[in-house]
Amino acid sequence: MQIVEKSSFFVIPFILFVVGVIILFGRKKDYFDSFLTGAKNGATSAVSLLPTMCALIVGVSMFTGSGIGDFISEGLSPFFDRIGVPSEILPLILTRPISGSASLASLGEILSRYGADSYPALCASVIVASTDTVVYVISIYFAKSKLKKTRYALPIALFISVFSVFLSCILVRAFF
Amino acid sequence: MLGKCFSVFCLSSIAYALVFGDLRALCDSVLLGASKSVTVIISIIGFMTFWNGVMEVLKDSGIISFLSRLLTPLLKHIFPSSFKNKVARDEITACISAGVLGLSNATTPLAISAIEKMNEGRSSSYATKDMITLAIIGCACFNLIPTTIISMRVSQGASISYEIIVPVWICSFACMSLGIILSRVIGAFSADR
Repeated sequence: MQIVEKSSFFVIPFILFVVGVIILFGRKKDYFDSFLTGAKNGATSAVSLLPTMCALIVGVSMFTGSGIGDFISEGLSPFFDRIGVPSEILPLILTRPISGSASLASLGEILSRYGADSYPALCASVIVASTDTVVYVISIYFAKSKLKKTRYALPIALFISVFSVFLSCILVRAFF
Repeated sequence: MLGKCFSVFCLSSIAYALVFGDLRALCDSVLLGASKSVTVIISIIGFMTFWNGVMEVLKDSGIISFLSRLLTPLLKHIFPSSFKNKVARDEITACISAGVLGLSNATTPLAISAIEKMNEGRSSSYATKDMITLAIIGCACFNLIPTTIISMRVSQGASISYEIIVPVWICSFACMSLGIILSRVIGAFSADR
């Protein structure tokens, strides 16, 4: 297990090493220009997230602040506890399949409310990192080709989404 | 969809606060939430900028097309009809390689164009098996480094940050494999129309 954990520190240095070598020795073009182009796009897309994030974080924050979040979580917690899922991550489970910015908003709320190293926060981080927003992905992938009948795509995607919630919680308990 | 999400959160919170009388907490949470959104964006903006730059270098230098060649033998089994008929082969491999490297901005347009290619010359409004498999792989979004999540965790003072990479790999890989298996098994029982 320790070797596995150590290996996670090598991924970023390894990729940066490759990039450094490419920029230094690449002949085809000036690769630092590529870096700057990509970085500019990254900055723009991060900033363009703000309006959506603002609305959704206010929504999630009202949901937890008004007490209704706790009310529902408490009601569900005997059930959630039995299956090993912390009931604090309920807003995240509800928003994850639908929207990436909404689930980032819920994750931000969970991280600051319960502490980044707490059990709910770790589960939430693994859930958000390991699956995408399935409803959004399915609808946007097929929309342009006007394929209305997506057959069994959505049921499988939602099943995976639920499965990832369980598996993430199990993995968090096994690792940390 | 997002609008609905927002309204549901808003209206249910207001209704609950009106009934149980904690309007002060509700008002506070509106103000705090709005300012928190800026903190969240600031926590991801730096690393997103940097990482997108890094990925652009990998893309321009041809590493992605190298990765595509490595993945081809595997993908042949996952998308049997597209690879046999040589339809959208390059689009599919490019899309999946971009996904593995965590280029989420590039993955979606590539997947959309792959599905458009697979749909050329068809008049049915039903998705084919290979299209569904591609969408399921998109849902599991297997990527090497969950950069956004790590940078959010680091900015919130987490001591466990990079260590989440391994559980994320396991979870994402398991979801992806399960999705592919389910999609192939169910696909075996229904014909493309």
